[in-house]
This record gives sequence, structure tokens and C-alpha cells, in this order.
Amino acid sequence: MAVFSFYSGLRLSNRHRKRSRRRTYVSGEDRRNKMEEYAREPCPWRIVDDCGGAFTMGAIGGGIFQAVKGFRNAPSGMSHRMKGSLTAIKTRAPQLGGSFAVWGGLFSMIDCGLVKVRGKEDPWNSITSGAMTGAILAARNGPVAMVGSAAMGGILLALIEGAGILLTRFASTQFPTGPQFAEEPAPAPIPTSPFGDYRQYQ
Amino acid sequence: MPVAVGPYGQTQPSCFDRVKMGFMMGFAVGMAAGAMFGTFSCLRIGMRGRELMGGVGKTMMQSGGTFGTFMAIGMGIRC
Repeated sequence: MAVFSFYSGLRLSNRHRKRSRRRTYVSGEDRRNKMEEYAREPCPWRIVDDCGGAFTMGAIGGGIFQAVKGFRNAPSGMSHRMKGSLTAIKTRAPQLGGSFAVWGGLFSMIDCGLVKVRGKEDPWNSITSGAMTGAILAARNGPVAMVGSAAMGGILLALIEGAGILLTRFASTQFPTGPQFAEEPAPAPIPTSPFGDYRQYQ
Repeated sequence: MPVAVGPYGQTQPSCFDRVKMGFMMGFAVGMAAGAMFGTFSCLRIGMRGRELMGGVGKTMMQSGGTFGTFMAIGMGIRC
């Protein structure tokens, strides 16, 4: 995962990435076919759900990436490569899962707090809590790092929420003849009620 | 996921479809994020002109791939 090696540090970006995926399937998928799908967990349990989901995601994804990385970095010879790959998975994948879980848990904790405080559920909750999570997790690196990390978290969350909104819109308009999406406009009014203040896209 | 069949007897998108959709969506988000952050970091390390384009493109593809992979996994573990 040499991915973001040349910006601000792998860990930071890792955290953002993790949150992103967790979040996205929740918002995009869920609202789209809420009838067939589970709704998001009600609030206190959402934290546990997100935390565990994020851990699983991080561990599996980290396993995949670390397997490749360990394979490539090991000394030549098939047995060395396999062993290096296994070692890399064993050491790094749980770490990545743990940092994903920290991000996910803190994120949805703040999310739930915002839901209670503001009394509504909209994309701004996610964006704010993404930014706050980034800031809190970078708190030990000083104010400048906090601002940078908060901006990163907020921007990422905004992108993801935007993608979810676009997906919802395309799913309801783009496939008017497609058999499986033709029904999507019918469930669409139902998500509106829990997210009553959600006028942007429905 | 209580119901697998919609109101009109249509089946829901299959697991693989959803994983694929998750990957696409993650890829798009990752491309956008990579475009923003990649531009900053490439400018900071002093790339300009054609070199900058290459650097940004590389970052975009990398972050799109990573995001997409993780998002696909995230879809996969829930369906």
C-alpha cells in the first residue's frame, strides 16, 4: 500500500480511506433500497456495528494489500515469498483493522451525538463527524495537523456523501426501463420520511 | 436483509452486482479525492507542467484502486 506514501503520512490517509468505504455503502445502498435492505442500525448500536464493520473491512483489505506487498518485498524463492507474505499479513492486517475500527467507532459515535443534538439525520452530520474525527485523531500532532486532518476528513466525507446522493438520483432516473431499477422510485418516497430534511436530492 | 424479492417479483441486484457497484463508486470517490490531494502533494514536492499531470494521474489511479477495493470489501461483508 504505497498508495499515499508521498502525502502527509500513510496512517492518516488510511483512516480516511477506511471510513470512506464503510460510510458509502451505508448511505448509498441503504437509502436506495431501504425496503429490501436493513436500515441503518438505530443509534447506539450503530456504533458497535460500524466499529466491527470497519475492523473487518480493514483486516480483509489490509490482508489483501499486505499479501501482495509481503510477496514482493521478500527475498526470492517461492517459500521465502510465501513466508514473507504470511508474516506481513499477520503483523500488519490487524493493525490496519484496528485503526479502521478506531476511525469507524469514533466517527459513528460523533455521528450519533450529532443526531441527538441536532435532531435530524442528513449528510452534514457525516461531513461534520468526519472532520471532527480527523481532528480528534490528529490531536496529539498539534493544531496544524488537526486542521489538515479535519479538512481531509470533511472533504472525503463530502465526496462520499455526494457520491451516495448521485447514486440515489441515477438509480431512480437513469434506468426507467431496467427491470430491477424500475421499482426503485417506488421505495424512494419511504426513505424520505426518516430523512425529512433531506430536500437536496429527492 | 429480510427480503430478497421485490414487490414486483423482481430479484434484488445480486451480491456480485453490489460488490461491483461498490467498487465503481469507491473508484470514483477515490479518483476525485486523489485528484485533490494528489495535486497538492505533487505541487508541494515541486512538480510542474507535464510531470505534474503524470504525478496527479498516478495518484488518482492509485487512490481510486485502493478506495474501490476497500469499498468492494465493505459491500461484500454486508451482503
